[in-house]
Amino acid sequence: MRARDVGLASCHTCGLLLHLPASGHTHCPRCGTPMHMRKPNSLNNTWALLIAAIIAYLPANLYPVMTVISFGKSQSDTIMSGVIYLFAHGDWPLGLIVFIASVLVPLLKMLALLYLLITVQKKSHRRRLQRTRLYRVVELVGRWSMVDIFVVALLAALVNVGAVATIEPGAGAIAFSAVVILTMFAAMNFDPRLIWDYQGEDNG
Amino acid sequence: MCGALLVRNPKGGLDRPIALYSTALILLLLANIFPFLTLEIGGRQEITTLFGASQAMYNAGMGELAVVVFLTSILAPALMMTSSLYVLLAVRFRKSLPGVRVLLSWIGHLEPWVMLDVFMLGVLVAFVKLGNMATMYTGNSLYAFMGLIVVFAAASSSFDTHLLWHKLGIPGRKT
Ligand SMILES: [Zn+2]
Repeated sequence: MRARDVGLASCHTCGLLLHLPASGHTHCPRCGTPMHMRKPNSLNNTWALLIAAIIAYLPANLYPVMTVISFGKSQSDTIMSGVIYLFAHGDWPLGLIVFIASVLVPLLKMLALLYLLITVQKKSHRRRLQRTRLYRVVELVGRWSMVDIFVVALLAALVNVGAVATIEPGAGAIAFSAVVILTMFAAMNFDPRLIWDYQGEDNG
Repeated sequence: MCGALLVRNPKGGLDRPIALYSTALILLLLANIFPFLTLEIGGRQEITTLFGASQAMYNAGMGELAVVVFLTSILAPALMMTSSLYVLLAVRFRKSLPGVRVLLSWIGHLEPWVMLDVFMLGVLVAFVKLGNMATMYTGNSLYAFMGLIVVFAAASSSFDTHLLWHKLGIPGRKT
């Protein structure tokens, strides 16, 4: 049984559990947030943000995130070559962490959201608990991908020694931070309660 | 059924999060006034502050990224700490201050944008990447920043949103 079936909903801001009128629309008496049985337009908004993130993902990986100019020579780094550099210079534990944060997490996060959206739209009632857990993990780990942006910002701030060496952020950094921010918003817009709907024909 | 926390019994005092958030606010201030990292290359020194990371993005013509870095490393943490403290103090001393409910409902939305821990990982990576070409020195602000991460994590986990809503109650109704 879902809370929805007995006309109950909890406010997503303050957690107050209350009876909703038949229209399913009211304001939370405690914090004033508009209340719905489910977040409005959750699927449409999540799709739009996710598609935008997928589009930004290409330039994020193809364009350099930074360029090192040293003694007149310049060398550009993409997200991937930055990870390879960390591995090549002996620091593999850190390389592994950065590989997970900046390569695996964005990719898996987009795939996970895609999977969640499609299964909800197909009204699938399989693996509900696992899908709900997947959503929570996705929501939690996404922010770690921002690490590359901080690295670029710190390097650009530190290495600014005129003719000796300069590090400049590249266009890939803008696209990459767009991917991180768009997927964060996409995850926030997805309503995990949708996973538990459409079960009338199933076990109830 | 899905394992989410619906209701938690309100327990635990407000003094602990108040003390922790006050400490965190002081640490954030300290993290911003001293040098954060110093780099020595070819006999020249380059000192950067915490704000310097955002500034470097701005100077490179990337205003959007400057905003992202500033928001996630300084502004969102500062807003979250001050608004949490404001709400905590208002509830603790039973003062009806303006905007308490609005702020309390915004704190949850701010939290994902506080990326102090992610920034720290960025510092480690920057250390390794520059280790081969230059000498790096840590500044006092970096230590304040590391303390801030620990205190902030403790503060936000002792901040019980449901307890605060429960204590605020429903306007017009006695609780
Ligand atoms: Zn509410």
